[in-house]
Amino acid sequence: MSTVVYSARRIITMNPNLPFATHVAVRDGRILGAGPIESLKGWGKVEVDDRFADKVILPGFVEGHSHAYEGGVWKFPYVGYFDRTSPDGALARGLKSIDEVVAALQAYETKMPRDGSTLLAWGFDPIYFGGRRMNLADLDKVSAARPVVVLHSNFHVLNANTPVFAKAGITRHTNVHGVVKDEHGEPTGELQENTAKFMAYKAAGVELAAILSDDAATWGFAKVAQLAGVTTATDLHNTLPDSTVAAYLAASASVDFPLRLLPAFAAFSMPPDEGIARLKELAKKNNERLRFQLVKIITDGSIQGLSARMRWPGYYDGTPNGVWNVGPDEIDRLLLAYHRAGLQVHIHTNGDEASEVAIEAVERALAAAPRWDHRHTLQHAQMADAGQFRRLKALGMCANLFANHLFYWGDVHYAKTLGPERAERMDACGTALKLGVPLAIHCDAPVTPIGPLFTAWCAVNRLTASGRTLGEAEKISVADALHAITLGAAYTLKLDEELGSIDVGKRADFAILDDDPLAVPPEKLNDVGVWGTVLGGRVFEAPRV
Amino acid sequence: MTAPIPFTVIGGFLGAGKTTLLNRLLAGAEGRRLAVLVNDFGALDIDGELVAKHGGDTIALSNGCLCCTIGDSLVATLLALLERSDEFDHIVVEASGVADPGRIADLATLEARLHRDGVIVVVDADDVQRRAADRRVGDTVLRQLKAADLLVLNKIDLADDPSVVRTWLDGQSMAPVLEARHADVTLALVFGLDQHGVSQSDGNPKPFRSWSYSWPDPVDRSALLAMLDEVPSHVLRAKGIVRFADSADRRSIVHMVGRRVDISEDGSWPGDVESRLVLVGTGAMLHSFERE
Repeated sequence: MSTVVYSARRIITMNPNLPFATHVAVRDGRILGAGPIESLKGWGKVEVDDRFADKVILPGFVEGHSHAYEGGVWKFPYVGYFDRTSPDGALARGLKSIDEVVAALQAYETKMPRDGSTLLAWGFDPIYFGGRRMNLADLDKVSAARPVVVLHSNFHVLNANTPVFAKAGITRHTNVHGVVKDEHGEPTGELQENTAKFMAYKAAGVELAAILSDDAATWGFAKVAQLAGVTTATDLHNTLPDSTVAAYLAASASVDFPLRLLPAFAAFSMPPDEGIARLKELAKKNNERLRFQLVKIITDGSIQGLSARMRWPGYYDGTPNGVWNVGPDEIDRLLLAYHRAGLQVHIHTNGDEASEVAIEAVERALAAAPRWDHRHTLQHAQMADAGQFRRLKALGMCANLFANHLFYWGDVHYAKTLGPERAERMDACGTALKLGVPLAIHCDAPVTPIGPLFTAWCAVNRLTASGRTLGEAEKISVADALHAITLGAAYTLKLDEELGSIDVGKRADFAILDDDPLAVPPEKLNDVGVWGTVLGGRVFEAPRV
Repeated sequence: MTAPIPFTVIGGFLGAGKTTLLNRLLAGAEGRRLAVLVNDFGALDIDGELVAKHGGDTIALSNGCLCCTIGDSLVATLLALLERSDEFDHIVVEASGVADPGRIADLATLEARLHRDGVIVVVDADDVQRRAADRRVGDTVLRQLKAADLLVLNKIDLADDPSVVRTWLDGQSMAPVLEARHADVTLALVFGLDQHGVSQSDGNPKPFRSWSYSWPDPVDRSALLAMLDEVPSHVLRAKGIVRFADSADRRSIVHMVGRRVDISEDGSWPGDVESRLVLVGTGAMLHSFERE
């Protein structure tokens, strides 16, 4: 029973009784205590480890809304606009023009086997190229023979080359929703929504889902999370087929697996009685690094995908209202079933009509089956206004807001989808905190990169990619943002008694930072380096590439 | 390459009667091997004795039909199903209660192994106007109606005044309307099973009729399209193998469900045969058509 005491430049605990400390003692993977070394010596013989003496220790970050296929997509080349770190720590450079994307894909293509297999890439986002969209000719320059498919960063839109279109028989005469055409009626090469999904699956083979959640993908996800200081992350929507469960069990069985992983069961994938039974059965297999306990319901689409369900007056540019993935009646039915079973439900709602429907579903479930401390959580809730936050508070619900959206799509929301006024108050962290709604903030990886310090930076500064400040009044303090990515997020996962702060008895999960996030200027919060993590007392240094 | 597999989508809001229609379809398949993709087995009325094999997300029936649950992804389920396409002759998808069935049918247009058949939208005669006026789901309901090739106006017996809902429906959709109670439609009409052994013996009391046309000489394309455009509202389907004057060396397949016409070419014209077209529907044919 060895006891290690880590010294640090500063320890930020999230424990109000002892907000800051210089030392933290760890025994059996748990926190024995924090404080000055003198107060820790009373526990008996300790071994002092000074490797973090010039580092700053925080509770390990908790990512409340991410997807484990972040670890799988790295099997394919990344062609996004922004720099992004891969699971092995290597930096994938952002590509600043369509020509750069084409050149990167050409280079990749020459290294592929000459077997006609598909080149699949991901992370592309055309909104930063001044209106120029990628077209068939661009990707034909990559290959005129091999199918080339480039998934956009939202995973709902793609570009393809002529071989893909030819094989599918898509021409100017193809009258199918989701085939984008130019002013002359010719397909441009861009495909959207269901059409995009179908062609992506076809191009990659039906095993795409399996590739994205196999053993290697699971490890990749844990590693990319570790690089960002994350010790607990959700895989917030998974049908949990046997193959995925097996991969998660195998990976998490290793003490070298650097993450506590929480998959959320996709409620719509089977009837609730079967789903509840399956989840309860899976929960018996839980271990220290894998926890089956969450349920997810997806209600609407996305704001930028023009598929969010909005209340009046709807889209700023007049686009008709979005689509229900699961309609109001079904939300009621699913929520009530999982609520009755004592499970916690995370509800994806982007538009404010979707949030309203979800809130009312919880209201009805509580009337039918009163239950304390359910912590049903709205995920995204990007358009929620003060009235909706008041209802969340009254009902005992939590909010996990998509702060990264402010940066990545804030300009689009300002100009096209929401208009200035609603864009200014989107992802309203300030309102949530003022009204006392338990708050987490998230990245939705791989839609945006996992990186809680960046997410906190977004909530603090509310800057868009073009540099516009989106809603001064909704900014939150750095301290509040750090709370949201640790104890706040842990609360939304019902793990706050076990992790999320540095306190006696909790798991020894730490984020080890190069700098003090409370001391750097708030606008530099995202520049704070992550040395690595500690998970259950095991040290995981991030690779330096 | 084998002929593409017909692909039918059944849409309609929650409670309209989609499952009832599916149950009729499975019971009346008669030698036609259907692959039916549903959201939930639970509502299907599958006689235990009919189940040949239950494999989790797939049930094989002793009449040759397959039922699969869609699970989380229709796209993935459909592509996996196509890998075993020798096991069935026709795919029928039950759209979710809020899905736009037209967008599901689009998948058949993108997939060479599939032939888009009809979008059948089942409507609750007693409830549809209330749903259509709902501020949260009204637009969803109206999109479904507009996407329909054929409308099954179900529960007509429950409607206070069927003529009111019929009139309203005509304003929402161009599709022909079949009235039904407990989804008791003529399967041959709805699913185009007429050439495949399913006849009026499917237990359905409602008769259907067919009218055949043949032409010894190549047919003018626009004249045929105009003819199909003008068929009476009770003509629900057409199928033909036609030699068009503008592509006289090709065999053109004409396919109409509701008012949606598809024409495709599938090979060269096989010599000395006549062009043929069959219309099927309910009720009597107009004289002008009988003369042609």
